[in-house]
Amino acid sequence: MGAINIYHLYPDHLNLYGDRGNMLALCRRAEWHGIKVKIIAVNPGDPINFSNCDLLFMGGGQDSDQKLVAEDLKGRSREIHQAVEDNMVIFAVCGSYQLLGHYYTTARGEKINGLEIMELNTEAGKSRLIGNAAINCFLWDPPRTLVGFENHGGRTFLGPGLQPLGKVLYGFGNNGSEKTEGAVYKNVIGTYLHGSLLPKNPWLTDYLLKKALEYRHQEIYFCKLDDSLEEKAHQFALNLAAGNRHK
Amino acid sequence: MDKHDKQLHSKDPGRIKQGRVSGLRLLSAIWIGKALIGLTRILGRGGTTLPGRTALTIAPDLSYLLANRLEMGTIIITGTNGKTTTAALINGILKEAGLRCIHNQSGSNLTWGIASTFIENSTWLGRINGDLAVLEVDEGAFPTLTASLQPRGIIVTNIFRDQLDRFGEIDSIQGLIQKGLDHLPSDSFLIINADDPTLASLKNSTNSSRWTYGLELKLPAHNFNNTGRDIKTCPVCFKRLAYNMIYFAHIGHYYCPSCSFKRPEVKVKLTRNNIDSKGLNHVQVCLPDQKLDLTIPLLGIYNLYNVLAAATCAIALNISSSIISSSLEKAAPSFGRMERFEKENKEIIMALIKNPVGANEVLRTILDQPGNINLIVAINDRIADGTDISWIWDVDFEQLSTTKNRITTVIASGLRAFDMAVRFKYAGFEPEQLLVTESLNQAIETALEQTAPGSRLFILPTYTAMLEMRRYLNKLGLGKPYWGGS
Repeated sequence: MGAINIYHLYPDHLNLYGDRGNMLALCRRAEWHGIKVKIIAVNPGDPINFSNCDLLFMGGGQDSDQKLVAEDLKGRSREIHQAVEDNMVIFAVCGSYQLLGHYYTTARGEKINGLEIMELNTEAGKSRLIGNAAINCFLWDPPRTLVGFENHGGRTFLGPGLQPLGKVLYGFGNNGSEKTEGAVYKNVIGTYLHGSLLPKNPWLTDYLLKKALEYRHQEIYFCKLDDSLEEKAHQFALNLAAGNRHK
Repeated sequence: MDKHDKQLHSKDPGRIKQGRVSGLRLLSAIWIGKALIGLTRILGRGGTTLPGRTALTIAPDLSYLLANRLEMGTIIITGTNGKTTTAALINGILKEAGLRCIHNQSGSNLTWGIASTFIENSTWLGRINGDLAVLEVDEGAFPTLTASLQPRGIIVTNIFRDQLDRFGEIDSIQGLIQKGLDHLPSDSFLIINADDPTLASLKNSTNSSRWTYGLELKLPAHNFNNTGRDIKTCPVCFKRLAYNMIYFAHIGHYYCPSCSFKRPEVKVKLTRNNIDSKGLNHVQVCLPDQKLDLTIPLLGIYNLYNVLAAATCAIALNISSSIISSSLEKAAPSFGRMERFEKENKEIIMALIKNPVGANEVLRTILDQPGNINLIVAINDRIADGTDISWIWDVDFEQLSTTKNRITTVIASGLRAFDMAVRFKYAGFEPEQLLVTESLNQAIETALEQTAPGSRLFILPTYTAMLEMRRYLNKLGLGKPYWGGS
């Protein structure tokens, strides 16, 4: 039986769009697959031993929270970089996805420096990009769909070497113009999609768990789970994003 | 009682130049509005949007002109949760005081719905049938409506995460409310919930008076509930806030360890709260100069805040404490807020849910009731519900699955029935226990079949699901249509 440690970064500050759902999905599915999970909530100022962390989850935050969080992350940058190069898994949604890049310029023109883990930067746009969204995600071959809801003021632009998480089928994605959504670097995944994302896209949840086990050099025995409810919710959200409302 | 000098506002030259319409245009707008209200009712819908919307295209200043004819002015209630109940409580007190009160009781709280309310309460000749208006106003419509109605008083109940797809984040909701307050006339009053740190930092920049209310109760630790806590940082210096007492979410006795920001002095407070075996709430409310001991039929901590908000407003309007007491003791739950119906000795309780904090408090109140629980959660994602349903993941549905033996039926329904079913599954319910149907009527029928006589069925719908389910209950002969008056 495998065992992993999930670090939940700043749950009091980064918890904007049902991020609790992402944590629940990771824990429940791990439980159903027979993987033991330990959750460690990290608050600003807490000491973290990154060598114990297999999967780092970071949620979305408001601008005011993001500033506080960015400040705290500064002091941890070197350790996080080291862990990322060793293939630790990071899953970051919305506000914290922006913090993985070089900088984020807020609507008030304030520049918040990021962790520089990914070659990307973000500028606040005039309007918020809001709505149901679906992407074709390249983590699988053939690609699989991911569905969620996006609500972000920032426009994120990826550097030339950085791989997007997927191609936008419906919605805005990173910046509303380039048809890319999210980014992937090694085992680090950043995305604007919430909804919550993981419960409705169980294959992504399993992907993250698998990568975390690999990182810990543990054998992977995944059970075949009955995902019919999740698949129906996925399909409904996909139709919704495509504009085919049932009624 | 003070007579409100509304003439002050009509002297404002900018306002007159900007929007005066001829009497004829106002009248034709009222007539068309009234005709459309009649028509929507014949069609069996309590539509409040279309009539107001059409009338406003004819006379954009309609609401202002009609509000201006109210002798005692307008009271506006805004905030995330508690608007409807607070408005209903104030309405009850004013009625008890013998005043004629205009009230948008169906929860139509956008600009158009408020225009419809004014049309409905005016005569065909444009005379207004009321002494004052008590209006609940959506946070998004608040700045515009405050500027145009020039209210006599404002109540802000709280700010929680709600419909982020419409309003953006909490910071921006607070900004919207502040924008509205900047328009407040100088002879008005502002009432805020002192236990909400986002409200304590709101400024009433004019010379308006300021009232605060809050709880001063010692609650056992199990009432602490951290989910859905939106505000953790000081609104002044952005450092982490500390609490001596948390009542729910970010509501409580807070202070900033890094600067001087703290919960302000409270003028109207609730100092005692005991629930007896009949489900009645015995509370003590301390006014600036006296104490009231009340027995109120409303449950839940959030209702204590609604009671305080209403009492504070009544005091600001110089209403006597005996009238306040006798009215609050008769209070009935508002439309869809823990509303009760009965069929074949089965009790049906409907409680609107729309955001994590409100839903958590509803769940807590349900679980406090004895006996078996049959449950429908109906999630729609229309604009009025919020198109982003990720908030259901921030609701602590896990507290249901820990008392699973008391829960006999669980139905996920609404347009997003399958999302809700997944939510139940991840909250710890077995998929076999779950019934999933997108049809709200089907959900009610099945649930009623499965509810044993003497048991309770709880229906937790989002806003548009509530309207639809209420219509269906009306068809079954339960309750009154919502335009039928109370």
